[in-house]
Amino acid sequence: MKKIWLMSSVALGVAGNVAADTLSQIKGPDISVVLDGFYQDGERAFSHRGEGFGLGHTEVGLSASVDDKFRGVLTSVFESHHGSTEIELEEAFIETLALPYGTKVKAGRFLSNFGYLNSKHTHEDAFTERPGVYRALLGGHYYDDGIQASILLPTDFYLALSFEALSGKKMDAGFDDPATVGVYSGKLSLGADVGESHSWMLGLSVLRNGNGHMQFGGDHDHGADDDDDHDHDHGGHSHGPAYTGRMLYGADFTWKWAPQGNYKYQHIRFTSEYLYLDDVMDAPFSALEGAKDSVSGYYGEVVYQFTPSWSVSTRFSRFDHIEGHDVHGHGDHAHGHFENEKLQELDFALAWHSSHFGVIRGQVSQQDYHGEKNNIVSLQYIMTFGAHAAHAF
Amino acid sequence: MHFNLSTLLTVGMLFASPSAFALNIFTCQPDWASLAKLHAPDADVFSATTAFQDPHYIQARPSLITKMRKADLVICSGAELEVGWLPELQRQSRNTKATAAGGGLFFVTEHVAVLDKHDHVDRSMGDVHAGGNPHVQFAVADMVNISVALTAKLQQLDPASQADYAKAGEQFRHQWQQQMQVWKAKAKPLVGKHVVGYHTTYRYLFAWLGMEQVADLEPKPGVSPTMSHLASLSKLDTRDTYAIVYATHQTNDAATWLAQRNHLPVVVLPQSVGGTDAASDLFGLINNSIDLLLTPRSVN
Repeated sequence: MKKIWLMSSVALGVAGNVAADTLSQIKGPDISVVLDGFYQDGERAFSHRGEGFGLGHTEVGLSASVDDKFRGVLTSVFESHHGSTEIELEEAFIETLALPYGTKVKAGRFLSNFGYLNSKHTHEDAFTERPGVYRALLGGHYYDDGIQASILLPTDFYLALSFEALSGKKMDAGFDDPATVGVYSGKLSLGADVGESHSWMLGLSVLRNGNGHMQFGGDHDHGADDDDDHDHDHGGHSHGPAYTGRMLYGADFTWKWAPQGNYKYQHIRFTSEYLYLDDVMDAPFSALEGAKDSVSGYYGEVVYQFTPSWSVSTRFSRFDHIEGHDVHGHGDHAHGHFENEKLQELDFALAWHSSHFGVIRGQVSQQDYHGEKNNIVSLQYIMTFGAHAAHAF
Repeated sequence: MHFNLSTLLTVGMLFASPSAFALNIFTCQPDWASLAKLHAPDADVFSATTAFQDPHYIQARPSLITKMRKADLVICSGAELEVGWLPELQRQSRNTKATAAGGGLFFVTEHVAVLDKHDHVDRSMGDVHAGGNPHVQFAVADMVNISVALTAKLQQLDPASQADYAKAGEQFRHQWQQQMQVWKAKAKPLVGKHVVGYHTTYRYLFAWLGMEQVADLEPKPGVSPTMSHLASLSKLDTRDTYAIVYATHQTNDAATWLAQRNHLPVVVLPQSVGGTDAASDLFGLINNSIDLLLTPRSVN
């Protein structure tokens, strides 16, 4: 009798341990750190990665559930520029966790959902820098203060819609009296699998920037991109886009392949995006010689991870635009002229993945800009530690 | 009389209709899809992965987000096996049921006496999970416990069919316990055998069968085999080693290279339900794995 009692208490004890060990205690927020360092020979147009040794997107992130209804995210970014270190708050938002019908609201500062690359952190990229058209029209990645509402529809394939209202201060063309809510944007995303090995996603984006076009009649009339940084510069380099306009349209397509859907040993990603910026300037400017009302660009990239620890990637990108020469307003008429310009880049990168958390990359970019061809070589590491948030598709 | 019978049938069908509500179950592995079907035959069951995919490296694909949006219940291994993609699916699918707080999330490892837990884990150790080994589809003895817990979860989510779930659960446990005796008897020759593994996928099966994985083709968990590590394995004294064991979703080059040098036979096991033709459900997975372990083949 005693023996039976002992045995059952042992059994209970074991069961109790199993339960106690797996009951999670309240833990602190997830802390993640991304270290990004590089050496670069040359500089890319519309970029703020300088020549020589430097620190790129060094991130410290905190995230946690606030309660059962909200989650909070805070990401600060450190970057070195010509000897000084800048701190920038890239994300500081709350998002809902418990709204019905597949809806979600995000508020605060966050990466806009425009396009494919924009909503991703740069440490996920396959290249040292975003393509030229992204650097010129979105400042590499566009984040801002505002609110986002989105819905995932109950369809058999993936169909999601999102809407954003943002301050637009980063995309302000220099208005004296800018609209309080400068930017409204919307996106439609579609996606599905084809068999076990293939998946795709398509996005259509539109962004209306009330303060984006080059305005005539203000005190600060000046040409689109007289010297690469007509926007908010901090001592010579820009975080915002070099080109803004009233409407920005985007189309993106991503396709991924892995044999039988097993991504461990090898996989391929192809992504292409097209961006079209329209309604760039007011009438007196658009009548000047060489003026155009729109600029556009695209890129296509392929990333092939051929073993668990090595990947190669290549990208072609082009940005067709205009450059102002001595363009300014004078009373009721405008002066100066515009010239057509293109930025064309071809990039190759080879990356060694020390694990899921570390990458060392070498990249060669051939840049064709202002009629000159340059080769830019970058060596970069991106290492992460602490919590590592799962990546989106 | 005829009239009465049909009335009874109609009334019966009316009462039966609530239980015709089919639970929508999303599972992270095909093993839990099989378990779900055995416990809830009427449910609409989907597996996010196949036996040929490494469960650590799944993409949070649009199709999976769409599937999770509809789920009433999500069954995953847990212990951080799916940490690289499950949280992203939960966040993007906006399904409040498919969370711990929503009551529709079932982690199998929470109902298993998990092996190899670590008090201290850092990433220099490789892909080690603090919560222990998560490959619990081979936790044969714990499957009874898992069945009890899953039955309770199904009853909680779909009270109208409580009796059906109770019956299906009991039937599963009865069959499983019978099979456990069959498997144990069949696997007697395997007791005490030492094997070289590839990852710790079969930790629970080896423990239950009394086998031991004495070396791993991976230098550290989750780190792919390297030449220097394989070279060191080729120098091991293998007189006591029975075979090299790996899974159908893993590449065979490392195992073949070592087998040719050590003259060890190899065994290729299904990782999950569907990994071989015979592993068509959870019973088949265990049965076929034991059969394959009993018949290693030599590599020339």
